[in-house]
Amino acid sequence: MASVGKSAAVVSTRLIIGLEVHVELSTRSKMFSRAPNAGHPDNFDAPPNSLVDPLVLALPGTLPVMNRRAVELSAMVGLALGCSIARYSKWDRKNYFYPDLPKGYQISQYDLPLCGKGEYLLDMSDGSQRRIGITRAHLEEDTGKLGHELPGGHEYSGSLVDLNRAGTPLLEIVTEPDFACAEDVVAFAQELRDICRFLGATEGIMQKGHMRFEPNINLAISLDDGTEVRTPIVEVKNLNSFRAVKGAIEFEAKRQLEEWQKSGRAMGRGMKSTRGWDDVRLATVLQREKEDAHDYRYFPDPDLVPVVVDDAWIAARRAELVEGPSARRRRYGVEFGLSSSDVRQLLDDPALAKFFDLCVAEVHSVPARAMAVAKLLLNAGAKRANELGTSVTHLGIAPAQVVGLLALRESGTIGSQAVDPLFALLCASDGDAMRVAQDAGLLQVRDDSQLDGWVDAAIAANEAAANDVRAGKLAAIGRIVGAAMRSSGGKADAKALHARIVERLGEGGA
Amino acid sequence: MVALAAQVRRGAIKSRQMVESCLARISAHDKSLHCFNQVFADEARAEADAIDRRIARGEEAGVLAGIPIAIKDNLATRLGRTTCSSKFLAEYRSPFDATVIERIIAAGAIVIGKTNLDEFAMGSSTENSAFGPTLNPWDPERVPGGSSGGSAAAVAAGMCIAALGSDTGGSIRQPAAFCGCVGFKPSYGRVSRFGLVAFGSSLDQVGPLTRTLRDAALLTHVIAGADHRDSTCVNQPSDILPSSATLGELTAAQLPSSNRRVRIGIPRQYRAGNSPAVDAALARAVEALTECGCELVEVDLPMTAQGISTYYVIAPAEACANLARFDGVRYGRRASLGATDSLFDLYAKSRSEGFGPEVQRRIMLGTYALSSGYYDAFYKRALQVRRLIKQEYDAAFARCDALLGPTTPTSAFLLGGCTDPLAMYMCDVYTVNTNIAGICALSLPAGFQKLGDRTLPIGLQLQSQAFADRDLLGVVGSIVERAISPAFALASCI
Repeated sequence: MASVGKSAAVVSTRLIIGLEVHVELSTRSKMFSRAPNAGHPDNFDAPPNSLVDPLVLALPGTLPVMNRRAVELSAMVGLALGCSIARYSKWDRKNYFYPDLPKGYQISQYDLPLCGKGEYLLDMSDGSQRRIGITRAHLEEDTGKLGHELPGGHEYSGSLVDLNRAGTPLLEIVTEPDFACAEDVVAFAQELRDICRFLGATEGIMQKGHMRFEPNINLAISLDDGTEVRTPIVEVKNLNSFRAVKGAIEFEAKRQLEEWQKSGRAMGRGMKSTRGWDDVRLATVLQREKEDAHDYRYFPDPDLVPVVVDDAWIAARRAELVEGPSARRRRYGVEFGLSSSDVRQLLDDPALAKFFDLCVAEVHSVPARAMAVAKLLLNAGAKRANELGTSVTHLGIAPAQVVGLLALRESGTIGSQAVDPLFALLCASDGDAMRVAQDAGLLQVRDDSQLDGWVDAAIAANEAAANDVRAGKLAAIGRIVGAAMRSSGGKADAKALHARIVERLGEGGA
Repeated sequence: MVALAAQVRRGAIKSRQMVESCLARISAHDKSLHCFNQVFADEARAEADAIDRRIARGEEAGVLAGIPIAIKDNLATRLGRTTCSSKFLAEYRSPFDATVIERIIAAGAIVIGKTNLDEFAMGSSTENSAFGPTLNPWDPERVPGGSSGGSAAAVAAGMCIAALGSDTGGSIRQPAAFCGCVGFKPSYGRVSRFGLVAFGSSLDQVGPLTRTLRDAALLTHVIAGADHRDSTCVNQPSDILPSSATLGELTAAQLPSSNRRVRIGIPRQYRAGNSPAVDAALARAVEALTECGCELVEVDLPMTAQGISTYYVIAPAEACANLARFDGVRYGRRASLGATDSLFDLYAKSRSEGFGPEVQRRIMLGTYALSSGYYDAFYKRALQVRRLIKQEYDAAFARCDALLGPTTPTSAFLLGGCTDPLAMYMCDVYTVNTNIAGICALSLPAGFQKLGDRTLPIGLQLQSQAFADRDLLGVVGSIVERAISPAFALASCI
């Protein structure tokens, strides 16, 4: 066997990657109980073992009851990925003992998943599209967590169980082995995160493990004798950052080639092994040699009834779908002309993107105005949100107010200095932008006598600068404009001041 | 019970009197019979007094006002412990009440105690209790049946007015037959399983053990009906009793209408292998029913014999998963471990110490049946046979209202008299198919067998189709009860 790897020379290698993704749904309650769900933002800071009830603890006599919303959200993600939705799916028990699995079995979907085959067209950076086949997507419950640290980071000699995550709805999406490089996997993973977040299926916070990726990786090695061999498949478990996904795949590409050159072992039945990712050493580490060591003894869960849905139900889920990230990316980037970093910022915050869309609707999607709205939200908005430690969508400003502010600025009714303060005022007011600006005295002053007063005072107070201007050193005019603006309290129209000062001092004249 | 509850509501008798009389029977006989794992004497007295006061104030008191009811110890109660007669749960306290417990309490019932059972309801004699067997009040050398043996014996011995049991393969009907009570297994999905410690989830149902058919109907009426905490508990109308009937009129309302001829099927497979006394009781019943105008139909149920083997694949398969939660991690028995013991040892030792031999046997049976490579030969095949058994029943019920046969092939056997597990499993030959098919069935007292100086009750079983519970407990059952059930005072047995 070993000689196979050495007798012929390697011409080229090609990566073959399939992806499994676990998505924690953000429903209010858990998959099969009314206990609060760890994946919901209200519960992010819950102390250990506080998101439990008798069912989560698997007390005797408790029964699971399906969370309908989790099924609906999963079907929506399935539809967004082009999957068929099963009219009939069911729940199965996956049996194994582990302290983070209170019932001694996990409720999952074995042979009849909610979402069947599908495909997704992934936009590539070169403008092309790549077809990613979806094998299936099924719903299950997450397990708890084992730890060896007390809250506060103190070491503990035994094992500690936290069941907050136990029973969180978990959507497992499995793709076909349609990826040929780490970049494509990461692009799909990011796209999937955006899809799920826009559908409101998950909060998608990577650090919290809301999305966990498990690539299945092997290499097709072309040899100079015209043959091709494939290395044994490796599944890398529990990657929860895009960086780790990329790192693990690239590491495996090298490792598997080297391994094959050493051992000559090719893909075969029962050869699939499981590895983990070491974030410090930046290497994958062997976890389990053979995949079929476990017999999970799946059988249908008699406590739950099958999920039977009809066309009307599926149509209702389809109607709940919102515009996906790829369409949004095109609309924002190509149609509105936003920079790719602005597009990314909007896609990273689905609530902000949806708010942006409401504002855009108010300006009838005129590209230039849409772009101005984006700038306003990503600058004045982000600044204000930052000051208050919140997000733009929680500031309290309404789309009509945003657009009102924009209109005031476009018409020169307010000056650029008035944008931030007016934005802040609108966040705390229901009034329209014009009225709020007026009440706060933020409108630009164009009244001649007032302007003349400020200009006169500024010239009088800056005689040297005035003389410079008179002498033709026009750069000095800025100081006088600045002084006049200061005495106006920022309300003067800067252009009008400038024109008036030039007129008064003449160009080298008077 | 119906009459007693009515009298309590009228103030003619006090709930406290009933409770005292049950407690007196318990203190006189339960040391020897061991029907109860726990008796809630103080709590029951306090509850009875509270009900009596409410009635004295003229307040509504519920259809089970002041009735002392015993609860099988695999039903979760906030009161006391919920042990399942297992060492594993010997000290376990439930933070919630089972739905059926909530419902009987809301109807005014008084929980008088938790009754003994075969550990986790696995058995047919109550000998598999970790706390010692229950004895049959008719003959203390004999078993009361099982697994609801404590509940059946308590009803027979007058230690309660009625009891709740659970039935996975005959666990209500077989002890009812052995102890001379009425036992009813509702159709699957009629009664919520929330709070019933699961054995075979697709087979388990909670049901009543009572002195009369009317009592069984009333108690079923109270506990039945959809429950949002049990997805398999379907939304059928919850009223078992005719809704127009007030409780005082129950007898009249359940009288068969004169123009309705009830058809009773007698499966020929139910006549093989019974003891002569059981055959004789069946023959007497057939005669009596013919006399009172029922149409008797010969029925063929060739799948009868397949029931036990089908049951002993499905029930243990479900049980091995249901009992996986008893792992020593969160509650219940936890073995003390040595320094070198692993996580595996925690599981293995806690479960070996906590579970008795029959429970371990069934866990292993079920694990084997579900194992990769055996699943198709056992579990999948059992599900196929299950479908055939259902179809066979459907065909039979097209020809008759109910099927009549023995509840058990023999009357109660001697303690320790049945040591072969397979022989023990065969006690359930007439009862398991009811659960496999999810239909309803009733065991009624049908006479006695004289054995030396002892008298042993014999029970006959009436099965009817799924969700025909109301007719089985009503029209059909009452005709059969009047025709076959001997007049005798329960609690005359001890």
